[in-house]
Amino acid sequence: MKITHEIREKTITIALDGELDASSSVMLDEELSKPEIMLFNKILVDCENLNYISSAGLGVFISHLQRFEDAQIKLIFFNMQEKVKNVFEILGLDLLMTIVSTYDEAMTVANE
Amino acid sequence: MPDPIKLKKYLIFIAVISWGLLLGGIILYYPGMATVPRSATAEYLVYFCKAVFVLAVFLMQRLRVNDYKGIDSMGYLWKLFFRAGILAYIAIVLNLGYKWLTKSFPDPNLTLFKTVYALNFAFFVYFISKSFYIWRRLILFQKTKPLAFEWKWFEILFFSTLSISVFHLDFLNFIFIPLLALLGVYILFLSLHIKWVAYLTAGQKWRSIVLLFAVLVSLGVYIYYFYRPSQPVGFDLFRDPFILLATFFAAIYPTFCFLVALFSLPTASVFEQKRSDLLNFQRLTQLIQQGEDLPQVYKTFFDSAVKASNSDGAWLELLNEEEAEVIEIHEITEPEIIQIRNLTQGLVIADLDYINNNLNNSRFKTLNLPYKSIYVAPLKSAQRTFGYLYLLKELEQSFDRETVNVIRTFVSQTYLTIENLRLADEALQNERYKEELKIASSVQESLIPKTFPSDSWFEISCFSQAAKEVGGDFYDFLQLSEGRIAIIIGDVSGKGISAAFHMAQMKGIFYGLMQDDLEPVKFMVKANIALTHCLERTSFITSSLYIIDYKLKGIFFARAGHCHTLYHNAMTEDTFYFNTEGLGLGIIRDKSYGKRIHNMHYDYNPGDVMVIYTDGIVEGRNKEQEEYGEERLREMLKQTYHLEADDIKYAIIHDLNEFCQDTPIHDDQTLMVIKFRNVQPNFSA
Repeated sequence: MKITHEIREKTITIALDGELDASSSVMLDEELSKPEIMLFNKILVDCENLNYISSAGLGVFISHLQRFEDAQIKLIFFNMQEKVKNVFEILGLDLLMTIVSTYDEAMTVANE
Repeated sequence: MPDPIKLKKYLIFIAVISWGLLLGGIILYYPGMATVPRSATAEYLVYFCKAVFVLAVFLMQRLRVNDYKGIDSMGYLWKLFFRAGILAYIAIVLNLGYKWLTKSFPDPNLTLFKTVYALNFAFFVYFISKSFYIWRRLILFQKTKPLAFEWKWFEILFFSTLSISVFHLDFLNFIFIPLLALLGVYILFLSLHIKWVAYLTAGQKWRSIVLLFAVLVSLGVYIYYFYRPSQPVGFDLFRDPFILLATFFAAIYPTFCFLVALFSLPTASVFEQKRSDLLNFQRLTQLIQQGEDLPQVYKTFFDSAVKASNSDGAWLELLNEEEAEVIEIHEITEPEIIQIRNLTQGLVIADLDYINNNLNNSRFKTLNLPYKSIYVAPLKSAQRTFGYLYLLKELEQSFDRETVNVIRTFVSQTYLTIENLRLADEALQNERYKEELKIASSVQESLIPKTFPSDSWFEISCFSQAAKEVGGDFYDFLQLSEGRIAIIIGDVSGKGISAAFHMAQMKGIFYGLMQDDLEPVKFMVKANIALTHCLERTSFITSSLYIIDYKLKGIFFARAGHCHTLYHNAMTEDTFYFNTEGLGLGIIRDKSYGKRIHNMHYDYNPGDVMVIYTDGIVEGRNKEQEEYGEERLREMLKQTYHLEADDIKYAIIHDLNEFCQDTPIHDDQTLMVIKFRNVQPNFSA
């Protein structure tokens, strides 16, 4: 699992590369727990190279969901592979989180 | 081989008889009396008896000394001196007693004198025979094959000289003298095997020198006694090649040993030091087997190092979070330690040895301490330094290369011991964890229902397998009323122990809430609230609850983020998933959860099949990292729906295993097949 991020003004784009399993989700949790993450108002998650997400990985997003919502930070997923999206859908997370298909779409949703 | 105890008895008997005959022969023979002609036969008999006596005594000693247990060379010397050497002084007493006696009672026939002579001879033979075999023991100390061979031949040749004395041949001629001289040289050669002396400590060397000297003195007494001229006995029992060689051997070997022990005394302390170093190494390594703890290892290390270096002052300190804690002290006070440490702090570089053999030239002199040499050895592993050993001596140039090398070896040995101790501890701990896990596993096993509800209108078959010892999958049943049954399946996020705990909780929630026969959505909402209090933020549970009602011929269910239910409709011959919405439990933890889950209802027909499972089934992977998938599962049901529930389950699991080949499962797997019987019984409401 490789996690990279790109910052543009008040938007941070986090790119996930590889499999988000029990061990790598700890890295992601650390990344999302950093205090400076609260300085942004948009968090875009690039899932283009995310091949697999385990329940532990989902748990990380779920645990931060409420916090971001309270701070009015938008969390948007984009470029998600079909099978990963299916995992989100089965769990019912697609209705709770914003999942769009492209970066541009993500930016449009974010700027609404 | 005859019984050695019996053999010994025979030998004693033979020795006593032959000695008696020998004595008789000597007494009867009187050189001054012309009336008793000197008979050659009698003379031969005397020599024959002597040879038999000597042989019997030697063979007896051979057996005796072999019986001596242990390998303590000092013990041999003691035995030799006390059992045989002392007899020399008894011989002196006998002689003096004879002289004193003959002053008042003359001994005209010299009978008494001859008796004393024969007794002394017996003592002497006993002494040299014991010497012979005790020296053999010492020569063969740490023997090699060639040495054992050499000794065997020496013994054979040596005993063959006995034949000369049996026939009383004159051995002082040009045939025997060179042969005997050769044997003498052989004895000299064998006498060079004095390895045992090297193993003695300085104290033992002193004692052995004294004992060897005493043994030599005893021998000297005998030689002096037998060499006295004008023996009025008629027979010179000493004039015998066998006796001469044995005496030579009995004299030359202790002489060699004596000299070697004497001259090795100055270097004894060095050997002793090396030996104690070796023993200390052994002790360090053995500490683990003895189940000792860390302080004991440090103590042994410290004591060994102080002893090896002969330090006048020393201490051992451990670094605990940069704070040095002194755990062992030798002849030095705390204030002195602080003074010295302050001074050396700048000089000791993290993980290098620091040696200063001339403290007079350094700032150290200002401390006014008696020490002139210092050696600081860091205790270090590959990653870090965890302590320091300080050694101080009052003389300059004290820490030479030898000492430093020994201390270094101690340090690395200690580190190894500590590391091994830690590993042994860890192994024990792991063993304990494994036991605990086994218990957890069996507890969880008991949580999974063993008996399935069976009825005439449906059949059910279950499969479940955890990826680790314990898992987060669960399923259960509850008969709500006649013809009404609740079935739950669920999957706790994560794996292992934490998942297993939540699984047990969920089971409790299921039993607690379903006593009230709740409709599925109500159950989920209440379960969500209950879980809010006991599920950590990153965990959630997916679950589906089904209530099958026979009277209504319907299934009522709700899906909380769990895998879609696979269904085969026997009427339409359609195999499909119930694609319904529903959020997992523990994701939103407020009242709004109720909006995210929906009650579903489906009327079943006889012959319908329902397959419920956890994601471990559809996410089962093969070597190419492809997932089994919902589609393949659907295809399987399409082909097997006509079978019985058990067979459908086996078919699916078999297909899944075939797909995954030998890839180890990475998530818990649960599969449940429910089939409504083709012929439904007539249920009277």
